[in-house]
Amino acid sequence: MSDTLVVFVYALLTALATGLGALPFVLFGEVSPRFVAYAGAVAAGLMLGASFGLLAEGSEYGRGATLVGGLLGVVFILVTQRYLGNHEAPELIFGPAGVESARKMLLVVVVMTVHSFAEGVAVGVSFGGGATLAAVITIAIAIHNVPEGVAITAVLRPRGVSVARCAGWSVFSSLPQPLMAVPAFLFVETFRVALPYGLGFAAGAMVYMVLVELLPEAYRFGERAQVATLATGSAIAMVLFQRWL
Amino acid sequence: MIGWANALAAGLMLGVAYTLLTEGLGTALLAGGAGALLGIFFVRGAHAAAGTGELDADLVDLPPGKGYKVVLVDVLHSADEGVAIGVAMAVSMPLGVAMGLTLGLHNVPEAMVLSSVLARRGVSPTRATLLAVGVNAPQVALAVASFSLVASWPALLPWLAGFAVGALIYRTLVELLPESYHQAGQTSIAMVTLLATGVVVLLAGVVR
Repeated sequence: MSDTLVVFVYALLTALATGLGALPFVLFGEVSPRFVAYAGAVAAGLMLGASFGLLAEGSEYGRGATLVGGLLGVVFILVTQRYLGNHEAPELIFGPAGVESARKMLLVVVVMTVHSFAEGVAVGVSFGGGATLAAVITIAIAIHNVPEGVAITAVLRPRGVSVARCAGWSVFSSLPQPLMAVPAFLFVETFRVALPYGLGFAAGAMVYMVLVELLPEAYRFGERAQVATLATGSAIAMVLFQRWL
Repeated sequence: MIGWANALAAGLMLGVAYTLLTEGLGTALLAGGAGALLGIFFVRGAHAAAGTGELDADLVDLPPGKGYKVVLVDVLHSADEGVAIGVAMAVSMPLGVAMGLTLGLHNVPEAMVLSSVLARRGVSPTRATLLAVGVNAPQVALAVASFSLVASWPALLPWLAGFAVGALIYRTLVELLPESYHQAGQTSIAMVTLLATGVVVLLAGVVR
């Protein structure tokens, strides 16, 4: 298999993992806001740990470049949020029923789809940083996608969408991952100087999303001590896992 | 203002944790992981024991009788920060100095909060300052203790580094960030936190 195809397949696997988010609904029928909050806390920890890995790898190639990339990543998310009107997922999921159903369903899918762009870039550039980094980032993002699938299903399911279709929309929201991973990979492979910028970009965008969305949501619907334990534990576990590989 | 001070402190602590994680563990991953778990449950247990789990250090409307809890929380803080400085010094002196400066800077907003509580109770500024410094005395003691421990038994380094990392990240997530989200907008909090983390990471890279 050519390298490009490997990148595509890995990123497609992370996208498919999003569909697993519908699974709790098959098993339990419905899930509580608290469950979504704790799943989000684990996702936040994984992203934080994965970003530490990207940052460390980027620093090997150029510290300043990595930080500049990080700043670009933050700006990217800021701009997309402005463009989307800064809608937060929890309000979409459990907020008052002010927004009409169709619009709400559309919004949650759009928001999650935009998230996936930065994650796709992360998978792509991590392949530029070597096989170990690639494996770690791919696994982190695949696991982190599952709670995103949970969030999407939590909005769509009560509105009469079948579980299979919820899984389908969840996977759809992550399709930017394979689509962004390949060009990101080719870019850093062709222009090696761009690698630290790319690694920094992915790290900055992911940490910013953690701070501005995942954590505040988790705090709103979960207990602080549990959220902090889950997030800290999964972040450190992620870093140790990467070192171990 | 207090929200941003908290976010600044959060970013500085995350930066220190990242630095210790990359520099302090070496190949002893299991020891590092076990140390991190100890760190998490040390802070968690301390909060549970002191009943300060959900206490916001926001303090504008702190009920009477809660003032001593702020002092207590600050004493706990300085414990893992002391370990962090000692460990960083054991890794390399310049790194230790950089981490010491970082955590020192992060003590300033903490002392501001403490002093404002004390001032409202009629304590004079001089005494408030002394108490604020006294609260951080464990930091010095633990920094010296962990530095000399690691100097005598290098095998302890990953344990102590893991402990500091676990405690610092947990404390950032359980106190500083949730508080700051109550005090300022999420976007500005995220920006300040990220900027502070970036500066520490850059600083640590330069002095390494």
